[in-house]
Amino acid sequence: MKSVFLLQWQRFRRTPVMILSFFILTIVFVAALAGNNPAERPAFLAYTDDSLSPEEAEDWVASLNSEEEFQFQLESETEVREAVSAGDRSLAVRLMADDYRIVMAADDMSRFVLEAFLNRKYREELRFQQIEEETAASDIRAQTVAELEEPVLGISTVTLNETEEFVYDNQLQLLFGMTLFFSIYTIMFSLMKIVEEKRYGTWDRLILSPVAKWQIYMGHLAYSFTVGYAQIVLIFVLFKYVFNFDVGDRFGLILLIIACYTFAIVALGMLVMGLVSRPQQLQAVVPIIATGMAMIGGAFWPIELVSNNILLTISKILPMTYGLEALKGVAVYNRSWQELSEPVSILLLIGVVCMGIGINLMERRSY
Amino acid sequence: MLETEELKKVFKGKTAVEGASLYIDKGESVGLLGPNGAGKSTTISMISTLLKPTAGDVRLNGKSVIKNPAEMRKVLGVVPQEIALYAELSAYENLKFFGRIYGLSGKQLETAIQQALALVGLKERQKEIVKTYSGGMKRRINIAAAMMHEPEVIIMDEPTVGIDPQSRSHILEMVRKLNKEKGLTVLYTSHYMEEVERLCDRVYIMDHGKIIASGTKDELKSILSSEETVLIELDRPYPEFFKELQSLDTIKQASETEKGIKLILPKGSRVLGQVFQASERHQVQIINVNVQTPSLEDVFLHLTGRKLRD
Ligand SMILES: Nc1ncnc2c1ncn2[C@@H]1O[C@H](COP(=O)(O)OP(=O)(O)O)[C@@H](O)[C@H]1O
Ligand SMILES: [Mg+2]
Repeated sequence: MKSVFLLQWQRFRRTPVMILSFFILTIVFVAALAGNNPAERPAFLAYTDDSLSPEEAEDWVASLNSEEEFQFQLESETEVREAVSAGDRSLAVRLMADDYRIVMAADDMSRFVLEAFLNRKYREELRFQQIEEETAASDIRAQTVAELEEPVLGISTVTLNETEEFVYDNQLQLLFGMTLFFSIYTIMFSLMKIVEEKRYGTWDRLILSPVAKWQIYMGHLAYSFTVGYAQIVLIFVLFKYVFNFDVGDRFGLILLIIACYTFAIVALGMLVMGLVSRPQQLQAVVPIIATGMAMIGGAFWPIELVSNNILLTISKILPMTYGLEALKGVAVYNRSWQELSEPVSILLLIGVVCMGIGINLMERRSY
Repeated sequence: MLETEELKKVFKGKTAVEGASLYIDKGESVGLLGPNGAGKSTTISMISTLLKPTAGDVRLNGKSVIKNPAEMRKVLGVVPQEIALYAELSAYENLKFFGRIYGLSGKQLETAIQQALALVGLKERQKEIVKTYSGGMKRRINIAAAMMHEPEVIIMDEPTVGIDPQSRSHILEMVRKLNKEKGLTVLYTSHYMEEVERLCDRVYIMDHGKIIASGTKDELKSILSSEETVLIELDRPYPEFFKELQSLDTIKQASETEKGIKLILPKGSRVLGQVFQASERHQVQIINVNVQTPSLEDVFLHLTGRKLRD
């Protein structure tokens, strides 16, 4: 097993370009996309309809702008629509009394970010209004703000419908999503060496040697796991310590989650290799799987924004979904180990099942 | 020492090998001759325990190896039909790895590597990356890799396909030496009749998954003892003339060759007179007529009605 494992490293050192390019691509993507600072972004154009009076509209925009996350600029409807259709802006917002619409000319990734932000603001605002009506206390806002600034008890987010509030952290979404996405390529392309060995006959040489078959598999699996794991860890370390991304203070737990995720992807890779045996076909299949899983599993945009039931159902069987859930659980939501154990055990389960089926399929074909 | 009994392999309903029984004695050099797709590689894979037979048995010194392949693997060196090497590594690194998985290390490993390299004559170029080698050099390293653990039996699957004449004769000479001087048992597969004729004491001829003839070279040729081969060299092809020869009852087989026409005739027949008469009629320019003793190629043609390389 050790010689098979070491051999793969020797081969990697000779032809490192592909694997390294996935590593570098991740860094470039995360750094480039997360780097666009809110302050440097042009303001979103906004307009209102009859449901808001001009003063109310001004208040709304002021309240939205107070967050500093996004800037909004009030214009007339015609001006906004012209700007969007002329392509000056890809997105604009129509503000209403208790709802909003996003006006969009072309699909734009920042739409999700904006949507998440507006969702949160509207919900907050509507809740305040509701409370104001019920309690008739006019200074409820001031009170709340005061209490938030000087909390008597530790703050816990309380929501009306018991579900956890969706927190959107653009940096972490990008870091986690992109890293997990590109690691699929690294891992599966590394595993493809098994398929190549079987195709080009070196596998038979190994089988004829005294090295046991499980040792050959283990050598390859250990190599693919190590490459994938090292890639993710290095990138996380880089962004945590060099780019100062706030991933929380439970880095050990993050390392553990990555290990489980990597294992699940290695196993999924084995399943794919069990189903598709030609290297050329795999060159096409791996990107489809990586991209498909990233889209549905929430690597490109937060899964919290997906409402299509079919996609949500599919996402339930993807390791990407659980990997991201667990990572965000640690870094964004600060969940307890108990809450995290669910996605983590599902990752392990997916791993064991895929690995079993994958190796079985591979072995069946060789006879 | 090594024998197979009624080996059969079916791939998804397609029979690749059927009823293949053969044996190899210690120190023998045995050829397995047949055209592409005959089932040679499949047979070899079953013998070398890489493929499970659908039916039949493989025995080493009387013991079946199908359930217990370890014994066979220990004494066996297999040179696969494809170049089974790591292309991005050097010849030296490849051999080092293949030695290591057989448990060699240290000085012993180094000696084995240099011996194997000397055997295939690539000592000076061992540090070069396999990818940059010529086809012939790759084939030689492919053989060296199978020799690292000093096997008693070596099975070679078409080790000279697609290489330059120099490498080819180097390989043939090497196999001959291994067999004659070092006493290695050899099973040599090829679709080149000349190679098998030059290297092997005994030959099995395979076609369409079956062994259609076997024996020493002389025994096989005696199948044709009642026949003789006549090569007629012509200045250019004469289709009409060839057609007429084919239609003659007294000629067993007529086939076109590069330079002219090849005839298989019953021995002692007076057909040649008819041939010359026909050549007059068609105004054929005959350059040379040669009456030959048969080759294995002729045996194959006789048995199958096809040329080996069709
Ligand atoms: N793994 C396989 N699956 C299906 N058919 C196969 C397989 N291997 C060989 N065959 C078929 O079996 C026949 C014999 O092949 P092979 O043993 O490679 O012939 P040879 O080595 O004499 O050229 C061919 O028709 C080939 O297509
Ligand atoms: Mg073959």
